[in-house]
Amino acid sequence: MSDARLRRVNKEIADCKNDKASSVTIDLIDNSPFHLKGSFTGPEGTPYEGGHFEVDIVIPESYPFQPVKMKFITKVYHPNVSSASGAICLDILKDAWSPVLTLKSTLISLQSLLCSPEPNDPQDAEVAKHYMTSKTSFEETARYWTMIYAGGPGKEGLKGSPGLRDEVAMAGLEKAHVDKFEALGFDRSKVIDVLRRLNYRGANVPKINDDRIVEELLK
Amino acid sequence: MERTSEVDLETCAELQREEWEVLESIYPDCVSTGLSQDLLKLEVPIELSEPTKILPSARGSGFVNTSSSSADTDEDSAKQEETSPQILSTLPPVLIEFLLPSTYPLRDPPRIVSLHATYSWLIGSLIAHLQRLLIERWVEGEGILYTWVEYIRSGEFLDELRLKRRIGKDSTIRLPHPNFTLLIPLLSAYDASIQLMHFSQNSYNCEICLTSIKGARCILLSCSHVFCRSCLEDFWKLCIAEGDITRVGCPDPGCVKEAREAKEDEVRRVVTEEEVKRWKWLREKRILEKDPTMVHCPVPFCQTPVAMTGEYEEGSGWERLRTCPQCDYSFCAYCKHGWHGPISPCPIYVTDTFVTEYIKLENGTREKEMMERRYGKSRLQKLVKQYEEEQATKDWLSESTTSCPNCRVSVEKSMGCNHMTCSKCGQHFCYRCGDRLNAASPYKHFSTPGRSCFNKLFDQESLEWEPMLGDEFY
Repeated sequence: MSDARLRRVNKEIADCKNDKASSVTIDLIDNSPFHLKGSFTGPEGTPYEGGHFEVDIVIPESYPFQPVKMKFITKVYHPNVSSASGAICLDILKDAWSPVLTLKSTLISLQSLLCSPEPNDPQDAEVAKHYMTSKTSFEETARYWTMIYAGGPGKEGLKGSPGLRDEVAMAGLEKAHVDKFEALGFDRSKVIDVLRRLNYRGANVPKINDDRIVEELLK
Repeated sequence: MERTSEVDLETCAELQREEWEVLESIYPDCVSTGLSQDLLKLEVPIELSEPTKILPSARGSGFVNTSSSSADTDEDSAKQEETSPQILSTLPPVLIEFLLPSTYPLRDPPRIVSLHATYSWLIGSLIAHLQRLLIERWVEGEGILYTWVEYIRSGEFLDELRLKRRIGKDSTIRLPHPNFTLLIPLLSAYDASIQLMHFSQNSYNCEICLTSIKGARCILLSCSHVFCRSCLEDFWKLCIAEGDITRVGCPDPGCVKEAREAKEDEVRRVVTEEEVKRWKWLREKRILEKDPTMVHCPVPFCQTPVAMTGEYEEGSGWERLRTCPQCDYSFCAYCKHGWHGPISPCPIYVTDTFVTEYIKLENGTREKEMMERRYGKSRLQKLVKQYEEEQATKDWLSESTTSCPNCRVSVEKSMGCNHMTCSKCGQHFCYRCGDRLNAASPYKHFSTPGRSCFNKLFDQESLEWEPMLGDEFY
């Protein structure tokens, strides 16, 4: 059975190499065919467009009868992807897995997950809340992340110089809000952290009064 | 005149030879020569253009009615349709034995010696009709054999025999036959064998090992997905070993989403007897866990799961009866004691436990529904009502009465001090704590400092409206 696993994985890797037209690639990380790196381009017409996304792939012992383990290496701002760990919430990686699915088809499913977020079944609750509160603001942040982490289109000067990253945009907040609370004498990163956690965006802003924020900042 | 006919014969012989050669190369399986050299045979299987419903015809074994059937016969057939809907893609071959006269094809048609359908699926009158149709198709001067083979193979003749009919998208074939119920299994067996032959000769791409594999080493599942036997075996073995039987099914993503599970004969074909046994055991276990009427036999060495047998009227009391199929022990599903009849209640403590459990559950929850299915809804509600009444009495008793420590009768104090004398047995006791009091000095209980009832000859509430000062005794 282990032989069958090796044969199948090798075949899948070869298939993917031969298919030049596909936007999906699979590469070896070390010498093992059971630990791979997949990558694909961000789908057009989404905030991920133009980005290059890398996925860590681990082939379990009983593959293809058990699902392949995948998580994002590239940081992604998406309700179904953990913004901290890259963990992915997708049914086919869990109970809807079928041995007929391949690394390539699974990567393509990940690609289409980027097109169609499922905020009701989130992996990252904060990101999901952001998405539900203001889709425009969410997309702006997702686009910014794509630019910063996935080499998406944007100001070239920002790339590779983390010091210049706009932490406010990273958190999907507005500069004026952050400035306002920073002016009260709080640490800027703390202000960003609290406002992000409270989902201080769009229609939520008038609902959260300043005292509540100050209370959180003082904790 | 004589000369031309001689030329004719030579040309005829040449044409006949050519025609037979062509036929042999196109349909090597269909043509053969008979024992006597001149006798030729065509054995032509019918390959229907699409899977077609085969139904008995109400016309019986009789004459082929060329006018359309009356409404009555259609109704009859519709009835039979429900009982035996056989959908076939092939029909057994039609055999034609014939001679080619020396003047064929220029002047005479072939002479059919015998015409026969395997398993006699075409009755005599239809065979005769078919024979006429075959001869009629011959056009002077032209070879007819290829046309015959195609005419039969494609099933076109079924239209002309008025056996095939198209209703909407579906076409059906209605066969008049003296014993259709005996015929149909033969037709299905033939069809299955042809399908199997086609299946094992073809190659399939197994989507698990990503290899092209001969059908003989593949399994066709009932959902019509095909996988190689060894991949399916690895997959199902793993699932069975891990006890994950919901995954023992078609591995196709669509079927996985539908949670389509494999049928027993499919599992049997793929895994070992031992694994089939475990798979069946796991399935039974799952059913038992799902069936809320299931109760384990209380006999210590038996413990067989026993389901509710028969339909009992809810609330009749009979729904509690279970008889173990293994050891024949009849018991009550509520208290798991020996069967105590439908009327006598279970020892109260048993019903109490599940009735209180039932009351606690919110309406509409799964657990509540499970309990209703297990114990019977109306019966449960009756018990709840009983329980609530009893509870109310109990609450009232414990709130407003104290039982006599001697005879246990409940005594309600309407007014006065806490020194009570039981009207039934004469026992003196404290109404507050229920302790016995010495008949000679009953008030010592209330006047000894340190005791819990010290200074509590009267209750606090009653003190509130009493004069605040002075009086030591009421």
